Amino acid sequence: MTTTTLKLNLGPQHPSTHGVLRLLLELKGEKILSCEPDIGYLHRGMEKMAEKMTYLQYLPTVDRIDYLAGFFYSELLCRIVEKAMEVELPDKVRAIRVMLLELNRIASHLLWVGAFLMDLGAVSPFFYVFREREMILRFFEKLTGQRMMYNYFVFGGVRRDIDFLDGVEEIISILPKKIDDYEKIITENPIFLRRTVGKGILEPEIAFNYAITGVNLRASGVDYDYRNSDDLYRGFDFRTVVLEEKDSWARYKARISEMRECVNIVGQALDYLKRAGVLEQRLINPLNLKLPAGDYYSEIEAPRGLACCYVRSDGGEKPYRLKWRTGSYYSVNLLRKLLVGEYLNDAVAIAGSLDIILPEVDK
Amino acid sequence: MNWSEFERVFNDCELDGSKIIIKSKLHEVIKFVTDNYTYNVLKEIIANDIGGGETELIYHLYSVDDEEDLFISINVAGEAESIVDIFKSALPDENEIYDLFGIKFIGHEDLKRLYMPEDWKGFPLRKDYVQDDTRLAWNDDNNA
Repeated sequence: MTTTTLKLNLGPQHPSTHGVLRLLLELKGEKILSCEPDIGYLHRGMEKMAEKMTYLQYLPTVDRIDYLAGFFYSELLCRIVEKAMEVELPDKVRAIRVMLLELNRIASHLLWVGAFLMDLGAVSPFFYVFREREMILRFFEKLTGQRMMYNYFVFGGVRRDIDFLDGVEEIISILPKKIDDYEKIITENPIFLRRTVGKGILEPEIAFNYAITGVNLRASGVDYDYRNSDDLYRGFDFRTVVLEEKDSWARYKARISEMRECVNIVGQALDYLKRAGVLEQRLINPLNLKLPAGDYYSEIEAPRGLACCYVRSDGGEKPYRLKWRTGSYYSVNLLRKLLVGEYLNDAVAIAGSLDIILPEVDK
Repeated sequence: MNWSEFERVFNDCELDGSKIIIKSKLHEVIKFVTDNYTYNVLKEIIANDIGGGETELIYHLYSVDDEEDLFISINVAGEAESIVDIFKSALPDENEIYDLFGIKFIGHEDLKRLYMPEDWKGFPLRKDYVQDDTRLAWNDDNNA
């Protein structure tokens, strides 16, 4: 009988990771005995940069923290400044922001569905989701001039008024049918079920201990969604998707169901925007902007879990200290626990199901 | 959370808004609030260089059941107690603070360079950090 173990480097380059992540696995046969993630390949020093820049200079860079959900990070920084300067957002600005955030969430989840299925060896869903994602990105491009790094939210409002909504109407009328199509191909597919059902089970206690938030937590049966207590979403009526299965399949299903809810929220924002008049907003003058000395904190439900921004101001033009909390950072740490005892061929499937984006981890 | 009860057990502390400022016994305090109240998530650990060689650590705890946030703050000089045995999510957080601020967490088994290269000099988020590493592009003139 032999007791030797094998150390295997999974990564840094692997098609299923959005970015570069190295997992150092210790194997016995095909069973994983331990997993140690190695991150930092994409570190850009976002927090150090903030200390050297004014708030206005820093604003365009924050989209890069998570390039698949840039609006969320712009929103966090804008929210910090709005909180500090005590500016209340008008309803139309709130509706525009909610609509864009939720469209962004759909685009992010769509990409995840494609990438996850590709991890499992199914290539064609990737092209289907990109077809739908393209509609959303086209709208973003028309509105902001950018497909990914939008720089559209500004302190106290948005950069320009929305004077066209036909793109959004098309998206929310087509998308539910397309999601039905995905579900027909994927949800009950026997090969998909065999790779995901009962794999990577995440108990709620472990999720709490590892600070897992967002969809991954809700797929473990915990009803926690920051949007419910978020002032931005005041007046919007939506359901929190909670699933009890706790496995990779539940995380897939939760994201699919959440996309349907996002379409619902976008629809409500769209109804409001159709009736709303011209945009009236009181922007904060970003030149010579100085936040009063003190600590500021903002949170938002981003596609990959709870995202937070902390700013300490000493009353100067630049933040004294700025820190980001991102959901993926803790999901990577969870791999230490979740992969142990699983087989190597499931490692990529489980890691993929957590929706880890590496630029968000490395900041 | 019940502030007066907390104050009775740990008399060396004060309340500042929603933030509890403690002077010592970090591990004991975190253990106390997790055991006696419903705080079950450590959302993040924030570090601030406050000058004078001291670093402020802010522990952001959250209770999912009561939807309540709690901030615990402590000033440390170079060393702090690790709470990895209570919250596994402190593992990457403490490692990050070691990497960027140079705080050594006693009891953390795997402190290493996380973002910075293994042979990097200094701790970039400290206020006294000098960017004079010879490998940095903008120091070429100095080394010529």
